[in-house]
Amino acid sequence: MSGGSSCSQTPSRAIPATRRVVLSDGVQLPPGDYSTTPGGTLFSTTPGGTRIIYDRKFLMECRNSPVTKTPPRDLPTIPGVTSPASNEPPTEASQNHLRNSPEDKPAGGEESQFEMDI
Amino acid sequence: MNNKFDALKDDDSGDHDQNEENSTQKDGEKEKTERDKSQSSSKRKAVVPGPAEHPLQYNYTFWYSRRTPGRPTSSQSYEQNIKQIGTFASVEQFWRFYSHMVRPGDLTGHSDFHLFKEGIKPMWEDDANKNGGKWIIRLRKGLASRCWENLILAMLGEQFMVGEEICGAVVSVRFQEDIISIWNKTASDQATTARIRDTLRRVLNLPPNTIMEYKTHTDSIKMPGRLGPQRLLFQNLWKSRLNVP
Repeated sequence: MSGGSSCSQTPSRAIPATRRVVLSDGVQLPPGDYSTTPGGTLFSTTPGGTRIIYDRKFLMECRNSPVTKTPPRDLPTIPGVTSPASNEPPTEASQNHLRNSPEDKPAGGEESQFEMDI
Repeated sequence: MNNKFDALKDDDSGDHDQNEENSTQKDGEKEKTERDKSQSSSKRKAVVPGPAEHPLQYNYTFWYSRRTPGRPTSSQSYEQNIKQIGTFASVEQFWRFYSHMVRPGDLTGHSDFHLFKEGIKPMWEDDANKNGGKWIIRLRKGLASRCWENLILAMLGEQFMVGEEICGAVVSVRFQEDIISIWNKTASDQATTARIRDTLRRVLNLPPNTIMEYKTHTDSIKMPGRLGPQRLLFQNLWKSRLNVP
């Protein structure tokens, strides 16, 4: 069958590129017999099929993608949740929270992002 | 509204309101059908990753709920109580939502964010949840935003390594403390629940003395959120020994 022959022709490949994960603490090692690597394994294959795995650092990097600067088109307006509370003028603090997580300081140039919010 | 007693009975996270509804309300059935209707009528068009975006293993939906102060939960319709914020399929789409929502530490009142796989409602009645349970972590004020972010990033990134078992996560802002929880499908699967616990410890960087409780949703149904934290710890023991409802 053609399936069999194409299968046998599958070329061998190099082991995928390695990546370096720095551990500050043994706690970060996955416990037990998990077939994963510390920090996660991108596109690792498991018995259930290929799973898409991202570690925190990678996800945080994606946060800077330009597409994340504008809110989703269908974002509902919920005062105090997706927009400033309606009954009080937005404080500097609450605006900051909408835009930034505490750990990253305002990067500047983000004013437009908030104004497109509603 | 918020007083000490209120805080004490809030042993629960996320599904607390539904429990109360269920146990105190005769016409709960009616409300449930309305609920289903509102779900199915909100037409979903398939959410897919945009070009060059990073796909997630699953699509997820953000929900928000808030209890109106001074009104018993039972009189609130489901739609007033919980609201879908939106569904995303990629890492970038996630950040679009997340960056335009307040962080849980800045929510006011008795409110929750829920992040569940698309198609799973953040309530124990859902087929995916009815045999499930959740790990609960109580946080002193000031920690919720950071812990919630770490929790959902681990979930979206498939860090838990428990196959299809994860259903979603909840952060509950309460009077004196905040609670985060992660729900899984099969409460009786101890290998899974242990693995979730270990992953939580790893990704949340919890203080060593942090107490983690596992609670099955059937316990939540039988013993709605009126127990103080101390009693809660013994709840499972009582149940298995004495078969108390």
